[in-house]
Amino acid sequence: MSNDLESQLKAALRPVAPRQEFSEKLLAQVVLGNPRTKVRRLAPARLPLAWWLSASLAASVLLGFGVHEHLQERRMQQSGLEARREVLEALRVTSQKLQLAYEAVKSQSAPLPDEKTGA
Amino acid sequence: MNDEASDLLDEHLAKARLGDRSALAALVRAHQGSVYSLALRMLGARDLAEDLTQEVFMQLSSNLKSIESSRHLIFWLRQVTSNRAIDQLRRRARFTFTPLDDEMQLFSEQQDTDPLLQRQIRTMLAELSAPARAVLLLRFQDDLDPTEIAETLNMPLNTVKSHLKRSLDTLRVKATAAGPLRLEGNSP
Repeated sequence: MSNDLESQLKAALRPVAPRQEFSEKLLAQVVLGNPRTKVRRLAPARLPLAWWLSASLAASVLLGFGVHEHLQERRMQQSGLEARREVLEALRVTSQKLQLAYEAVKSQSAPLPDEKTGA
Repeated sequence: MNDEASDLLDEHLAKARLGDRSALAALVRAHQGSVYSLALRMLGARDLAEDLTQEVFMQLSSNLKSIESSRHLIFWLRQVTSNRAIDQLRRRARFTFTPLDDEMQLFSEQQDTDPLLQRQIRTMLAELSAPARAVLLLRFQDDLDPTEIAETLNMPLNTVKSHLKRSLDTLRVKATAAGPLRLEGNSP
């Protein structure tokens, strides 16, 4: 049984030939000294793509955040200016009202000619 | 390898070391099958095996001066291929042995082996640790004895024997559980 199993293993694990296309590329690369490029890349090719995707995503998030902050700042500046204008307008109106009230009080408190004479 | 073939490879090696490209091509042609097979069965995927084969021969072309003979060349190729494959397997946290589409490419096209046994071998290879897998492949694919395997993998002889025994026991148990093996020439 043991020898049968071992002979079966030997038979099953006989060397297999690489693809003809690969064999030719290998010879060209090793013997002719062609620039070294992977005949086929799997995981290594995915790494830069993943890196670029992550970098793009991070850049987009940062850009979005920056734009949002800038717009927020501008909105705050505009609302500050608007508030300042409204406060000044309120002060101006108040000043006008006070002036009117002051003049009204002043005109009422001035003695009438008849009152002066006691008639 | 017979003496004549060995002499021829020694001759190619000597010429390749002097810069003869056709001699280097002959060496690559002579050994690409064994390197690729070892890489394929270690890594379990054709693409990875091709990449590894390419890396091994690129390393060879820049280390030719350190290769002393055709026997040394074979030893060097097995050692570099095994060690690189073991390193790759260890680096990978989650290793899928072989995609289903590529299953049959692990085996020779001359399919005179029991398909059930092939499946059992494939499953067992996937379950073995990287060093145990290398030991089994060097024993049954490259027909090395345990001493040669120990030397190639720089591993204690007893560890090699232990790996071999455990792997064969596992395969035997699987084969028994799945029913008797069909052996060529033994069928009634």
